[in-house]
Amino acid sequence: MAHSLSEECTPLKREYDACFNAWFEGYLEPVVSASSRPEERQKFAQEKAAEYERSCGKIWVQYRECVQKAVKEKGLGSLLEQARTENPLNDAPPSSPESSS
Amino acid sequence: MHYFSQLCHYDHPWAHVVIGMWHKYPNPHCSHVVTIDTLDRSVDPETGVIRTERILGCKQKAPLWVVKLFGGSEDAFVREVSFVDPRTQQATITSVNLSLSQFATCYENIRYYPTSGHRTAFQQTAEIQSRMALWRGAADKLEGWLVQRFEQNAQLGKMGFTDVLRSLWESKEGQAAC
Repeated sequence: MAHSLSEECTPLKREYDACFNAWFEGYLEPVVSASSRPEERQKFAQEKAAEYERSCGKIWVQYRECVQKAVKEKGLGSLLEQARTENPLNDAPPSSPESSS
Repeated sequence: MHYFSQLCHYDHPWAHVVIGMWHKYPNPHCSHVVTIDTLDRSVDPETGVIRTERILGCKQKAPLWVVKLFGGSEDAFVREVSFVDPRTQQATITSVNLSLSQFATCYENIRYYPTSGHRTAFQQTAEIQSRMALWRGAADKLEGWLVQRFEQNAQLGKMGFTDVLRSLWESKEGQAAC
């Protein structure tokens, strides 16, 4: 696994990444294979979102706090804010015609 | 503005490619990417879409002329926002440079989508644009302001000299008249 911006945050980052990756693999496979009805899919997404919060929520809060501090210390805060203002990217970009959805 | 694009395929199912996305670095082929941090992540309980915002730290030497002109160091940072939609099997990643962004921007878009049960397409586009247009705008504005200031001063100068000439010669004429 790659390092964090700040060495101080690297152990927290690794713990968080491991937690997310384990959850993500379990999230993706059944969702992808599910040819289920929309409401079943939604129920699954809600359950999984709650599970993510339960398993990784605590380490995420610690890691995020560490990274936010590191971002400020490295003087990246204003550059990041500018990029977010110019392009918030709150929603997924629209699908391109080539993609088969 | 410069464009770059490529389309290729990986012989892996979409889910495997998307799981692999989070394991791409560190990578001996891309040793310039040295740090990765997640800044924000959310799972939409309605759609199931996962949005992730990350910051990537890169170390890559810039040519001397770039450093001389624009400053900067070999440390560069990139903001990356990705969306993974398990329902539609779409993954998109948008990246933009943070370092030197006052001079130029490089917007990269990546999309992974399945073309079959065992194949995934990788579509990559990038737009590279310097902000010289912005500078040009600022330069035009500066010129406009300078012209205006010059005209004002020229007007004042003319008025001032008219007064000088008038007082100089009128008083002499006055003296002469006496």
